[in-house]
Amino acid sequence: MGELLDIFLKSIFMENMVLSYFLGMCSFLAVSKSVKTAVGLGAAVIFVLTLTVPINWFINVKILGENGLFGMDLTFLRFILFIATIAATVQLVEMVIEKFSPALYSALGIFLPLITVNCAILGGALFMVSREYNFVEATTFGFGSGFGFFIAIILMAAIREKIRYSAVPGPLRGLGMAFLITGLMGMAFMGLMGINPGLYFQ
Amino acid sequence: MAETATQTVPEKEPLFGKKERKLLIDPLNDNNPITVQVLGICSALAVTSMVKPAVIMALSATFVMAFSNLTISLLRKGIPKQVRMIVQLVVIAFLVTIVELVLKAANYPIWKQLSVYIGLIITNCIVMGRLEAYAMANKPWRSFLDGIGNGLGYGILLVMVAVARELFGKGSLMGFKIIGNTPDCLIDTTTNAWFGWYMQNNIMVLPAAALFVICVIIWVQRARNSKLVDIS
Amino acid sequence: MHTNRYTLIYIVVLSFIVAVVLAFTFSGLKPIHDANEAVFKKRDILSSVKDQLPIDIVKASTEEVLEHFDASIEQVVIDANGKVVEGAKADDIDMKQEEKKPLEERQYPIYIYEGAEAKYYLIAIRGNGLWDKIWGTIAMKDDFNTIAGVSFDHVTETAGLGAEIKDSEAFKKAFQGKKLYNDNGEYVSVAIVKGGVKKPSHQVDAIAGATITSKGVTEMMNRGLAIYLPYFDSLKK
Repeated sequence: MGELLDIFLKSIFMENMVLSYFLGMCSFLAVSKSVKTAVGLGAAVIFVLTLTVPINWFINVKILGENGLFGMDLTFLRFILFIATIAATVQLVEMVIEKFSPALYSALGIFLPLITVNCAILGGALFMVSREYNFVEATTFGFGSGFGFFIAIILMAAIREKIRYSAVPGPLRGLGMAFLITGLMGMAFMGLMGINPGLYFQ
Repeated sequence: MAETATQTVPEKEPLFGKKERKLLIDPLNDNNPITVQVLGICSALAVTSMVKPAVIMALSATFVMAFSNLTISLLRKGIPKQVRMIVQLVVIAFLVTIVELVLKAANYPIWKQLSVYIGLIITNCIVMGRLEAYAMANKPWRSFLDGIGNGLGYGILLVMVAVARELFGKGSLMGFKIIGNTPDCLIDTTTNAWFGWYMQNNIMVLPAAALFVICVIIWVQRARNSKLVDIS
Repeated sequence: MHTNRYTLIYIVVLSFIVAVVLAFTFSGLKPIHDANEAVFKKRDILSSVKDQLPIDIVKASTEEVLEHFDASIEQVVIDANGKVVEGAKADDIDMKQEEKKPLEERQYPIYIYEGAEAKYYLIAIRGNGLWDKIWGTIAMKDDFNTIAGVSFDHVTETAGLGAEIKDSEAFKKAFQGKKLYNDNGEYVSVAIVKGGVKKPSHQVDAIAGATITSKGVTEMMNRGLAIYLPYFDSLKK
């Protein structure tokens, strides 16, 4: 249990996808202009990461691995299968949500296609491979990373909503300021690094 | 490349005219993928702490961009609309895997250093963005040039950021020691009377520093080119 | 609009072409990948005794490294009690996999380097850095007390800070001549300390700004070296 809590807390705070590894920056910068849309994208990312990391774990270990379905090392197909899985999952999620919850669809709908090419999603799958998580750990990691993204983008959106009323130099307005804020937030999150939550929950 | 272009372009079009040049030059400044289009930033931050990996990353991305643009442009009439995105992603992932396999064989230490970031070229939004915006509607030769142009525009920014970070953070360029407090540096700050005050700036090696450097680049670029300024 | 059948065939054909081309590329490059990986590891192991090597380990070609490694290294594997495992090769031990086993079932690799003047015992240690795992090779002199050299590596320590354990030659050089035992014969290992070395034979100056990685290295060396002590004791007799 301590292990899992360790992975979960680390993926949210110490190893935050956005603020420590700077993955998923494109949508992070593009959709963080207001808190409302940020919540939508954040929720969609949690959803997709929690689904795709375990699915990709399954593909990586049970199909591509040497002890998998075909009994040979098929890791060269990893990128293609991962991204195809992600694209397919996103499409499926989109269709399911549209059918069963139109309200949720109208909230998340426009963000879902954006998520396929969000580095954080593929990054999550690739980190899961390089860190050799097992199934439960992978699921925890997927959810935690998604939640980390959610927190980061909401913080960012809140700051950007405020900064609109400040006298920022013209050329720095918008994108330039967004970069600067993200950098400062990243440095602030660095204060958390090196904390080892696992030690407290054994 | 020239052959395919002349075959698919029956009417006389110059192989390298004004339009083609614009395709190559525009992304370098006015339409830079990172600072203007806001695409493909993730990898720009992670691999730019030193120049060498940044150059390798830029070359890999340019290769993937040019050839995915070319492939998709050649296939553009046959791709079924419903699965357009998946086809594009498969082509990109295919090219990225090739790059990864070749890099692993050619330079293992660099491959280790770049680790997951090579794979993340797949989700580099520039690649997808150019496929959607350009290659799906244009002829192969021009798409190819557009890919190279955008790849270089992306690469030039990566290298600029990497130069700033490596020079100020580690006092070296491409691993060649320039300034620092050890005798093997070109300017040894312990003995050189003019540079005795100099200290390595450790903040520059942190990933967050890449954001600050890009921020400064954006500032300079927009101050010189007022039509890019964000008025919202 | 294309028909569903067309879409299906299109996807199948595309995937097939892509898979075949990749399979060929992969199997064509596989030998090179494996060789690269082996050389990378061996270069790393040998670089812990790089002052004793007749070749320049950084510049040496793949063949030179392999040749020298095979000619001058004897491989031994020990179990958790320090007993030699008969017939096992150190190359087959993957510290990453060993770490997942229960403590008493783990096996540890030792590479005995036959130098021009003396024997060196190159042992593998593994621990935690700031972000992820760190590991290293420690070269012991045949008095089983003095460190002849070290090499470290890491998954993803911060470049320029924690990553300096691998990149900084000065840091690695500082370990040379450090002792495992104090004057009373007690095991004290080597510690990485901030703000000046007070016990020169047991302490090394830390890298500025890499506190946690430094602590990780200290812990890794203290715990990792202790595992090999019973084996060294058995050789001393």
